[in-house]
Amino acid sequence: MRHLLMKCLLASTVMMAPAATFADTADGDALNNMSWDEVVELARGGEVNWFLWGGSDNINQYVTEFIGGILSDEYDITLNRVGLSDTVEAVNIVLGEKESGVTDAGSVDMIWINGENFRTMKQGGLAYCGYTDILPNNALIDWDNPAIANDFGVPVDGCEVPWSKAQFAFAYDTNRTSEPPRSIAELLDWVRENPGKFTYPAPPDFNGSVFVRHVFYHAAGGVDGLLGDFDQAKYDEVAAKTWQILNDMEPYLWREGATYPASISAMEQLYANSEVDLTFNYEPSGVGLNIENGVFPPTTQGYGLTDGTIGNTNYTIIPFNSPNKAAALVLQNVLLSGEAQYQKALPTVWGAAPAIEVSRTSPEVQADFATIVSHPNVVPAEELSKAALPELQASWISAIEKGWLENVGQ
Amino acid sequence: MATQESLGMRSFRVLTGAVLITWLILPLIPLAIWSFAKGWFYPDLLPRNWSMRAWEYAMSDTAGVLDSLWLTIWISLVATFLSILVGVPAGRALGMYKFRGKEIVELMILAPTIVPGIAVVLGIHSVFISMGLNNTVHGVILVHLIPTLPYMVLVMAGIFSNYDPAFEAQARSLGASPLKTFWYVTLPAIRPGIIVGGLFAFLVSWSQYILTLLIGGGRVETLPLLLFNFATSGRNDITGAIGMIYILPGIIILLLTAKHLSGRSGAVGGFGQI
Repeated sequence: MRHLLMKCLLASTVMMAPAATFADTADGDALNNMSWDEVVELARGGEVNWFLWGGSDNINQYVTEFIGGILSDEYDITLNRVGLSDTVEAVNIVLGEKESGVTDAGSVDMIWINGENFRTMKQGGLAYCGYTDILPNNALIDWDNPAIANDFGVPVDGCEVPWSKAQFAFAYDTNRTSEPPRSIAELLDWVRENPGKFTYPAPPDFNGSVFVRHVFYHAAGGVDGLLGDFDQAKYDEVAAKTWQILNDMEPYLWREGATYPASISAMEQLYANSEVDLTFNYEPSGVGLNIENGVFPPTTQGYGLTDGTIGNTNYTIIPFNSPNKAAALVLQNVLLSGEAQYQKALPTVWGAAPAIEVSRTSPEVQADFATIVSHPNVVPAEELSKAALPELQASWISAIEKGWLENVGQ
Repeated sequence: MATQESLGMRSFRVLTGAVLITWLILPLIPLAIWSFAKGWFYPDLLPRNWSMRAWEYAMSDTAGVLDSLWLTIWISLVATFLSILVGVPAGRALGMYKFRGKEIVELMILAPTIVPGIAVVLGIHSVFISMGLNNTVHGVILVHLIPTLPYMVLVMAGIFSNYDPAFEAQARSLGASPLKTFWYVTLPAIRPGIIVGGLFAFLVSWSQYILTLLIGGGRVETLPLLLFNFATSGRNDITGAIGMIYILPGIIILLLTAKHLSGRSGAVGGFGQI
C-alpha cells in the first residue's frame, strides 16, 4: 500500500515537471531593437500567462475563447488566463519576485492594470518599458490624448498600452425611482429626501473612491484647480468641505451610515435586493451585462451626471521579469487590433469602449463599429463623454482616500 | 431516574443532531437554487427565471473548473498523505515521550494555527522562490503542510498519549518483525486517529487560498481560487455552481469516515490529552 503510494508520488513528480522549454524572451532590450516579424517568430510556439480580474464570465470567455483562439490559430501561442480577485495580487507576485532576485524567470507575463497598481509597478521598476513602437497596432493609439498618455496622472512613458476606456456612470431602477438625481448637488438633496436608500463602498474600494472624488470635485467647485501636482493648501481647503458634506449625509445613508459596503459587488447586491435605490460603476457597460446575467433587475437604467463624471483608461502591462515577453507583445498587438476591439465593444460580449482610435482602423472595422447597437439600458459612451471629467494624480487620490478613512469612515 | 436521564440525553442528542444538520445544510440550499437562477431578487421567494447558464459555464473549458477539481483533489490527497507520514512519528514522540524542550516543539507545531497565514506568506514566498519551488504543484503541496500538520500531529499525539507500547513489545517478543508489528499492532490501534487527522488535513489543504495563490504564482489554479473570483464579484449563480462542485469531495469523505467521527471513537476521546 505504502509502496504503491510512493510510486504514485514519484510518477507525479515526473508528470508535473515543466514541459519542454521554448525560446526565452526575457531580454526586453533585445526585443526593442528587433523588427516585428522577428518578435513574432520568437513568440511562435510559446505561451503567455495573463493575470487579470476573473470575476466576469463574459470577460473570461472573450479572453480565453476569442483572444486565446486568435493566438493559438495564428501564432501557435498558448494563452493561460489567470483569474484574480484583486489586481494587486499579481503586482505582489512580481514585487516578491523582484525582492527575491528573480529578474528573468517571473511567473507573470501580463497584467490588466491601471491607477495605483500601475504607479506601484512603474515606480518600483517592475514594468517592461519602451516597446510600444514595435507594435504595429500602436499606430491605432492616440498617444496625444492626455487621457491615454497618463494613467491616473502618471505618465505612461511606454510602460503599458491601453486596452479599454471607461467612464463612471450611475444606474437606477425605473420601477422604483421615477426621476434619479442627475448631478452631485441633486444627489445630496435626494439622499436627504430618501433616507436609507443610498450608500457607497468605503474607499479605498476603487468605485467608492471615485464616488468620493466626484463629491470632492463638487466641493471644489470644479476640477480645474485640482489638476497637476498635489497641493497641500488646496487639498486642506477642499477636503474640509468634502468631509463636511459627507458627514452631513451620513445619517441619511443606508443603515444611518453606521457601516459602508466593503466592495462594489456588495453594493450591487444591496441595489439588486432593493435595499438601496441607486448604484454606480466605473465601467458603465456593467449594467448591461448585469441585466443579462440576472444580477440586476431588467428595469435598471444607466445614466450620467449633468456636471460630468470621471473617466479613465485601463491598460495591459508586461512585468520586467516576464520570460515570455515576445508572446506578451503579440498578445498586446492582438488586443489592440480593430477586430479584437470591435468584438470587445459588442454589448453581448462585453460592451467595453475601445481604447484605440476607430477612425484609424480599416474601413471594414469602421463599418463594423458603426453597426454596434449598444445595450438599451447602458448609457452610451458618446453621451457620457459629453460631460467627462479627468482623473486626479495618484498622490491626490491616496490623500483623499486616507482623509476619508480618518474623517468620515472612522 | 437513570432511564429519565438517558431519555433526556437522547432527546438532547437528537436535537443537537437536527440543529447541526440544519446549520450545515440550510446555507447550501440558496447556493443550489442560485446556481440555476437567472436573477433572484427580493422579495421573490424563488427565482422567476431559471437557467442552466451558470452550470454550462462551470463545465466549459474556459472556466477550467473540472481541471481545477482534479488538481485540487490531487494536491489535497498528497498533502494529506505527507501529513500522515510526518504526523504519525511526530505525534508518537509528543504523545508518548517526555523530553527537554517539548513545550517549545508543541508551540512551534501549533504556531501555524495561531499566526494568520497572510502575515507570513510573503516571507514564505521569498523562501520558496530562493528554493525554486514557487509556481509548482510541489511547492503548493509543500506549503499546504504548514497549516495541515498541526491538526495531524495534535490528533496523533492525543492517540499516542492513550496508547500502550507494551502491545508492540509483546508482538516483538512473539517474533514479529518491526514492520509486521507496525502493520498488525500499531496501525489498527492508531487508525481512527489517522482517519480523523487525515480528514482534517485534507479539508485544511482543500480550503487554502492565499498560500496557494502566492506560492502557486496563480499558475496552480485550485478550486478556491476560481471560486473566489466569482464570490468576490457578486456572481451568485456561478459561485453557486462552482460551490456545489467544491463541497462535493468534502461531503463524500465525511460520509466515508463518519463512523470514526462519533464521540465514542478513540480519536476524539484522546484529543487534547497530550
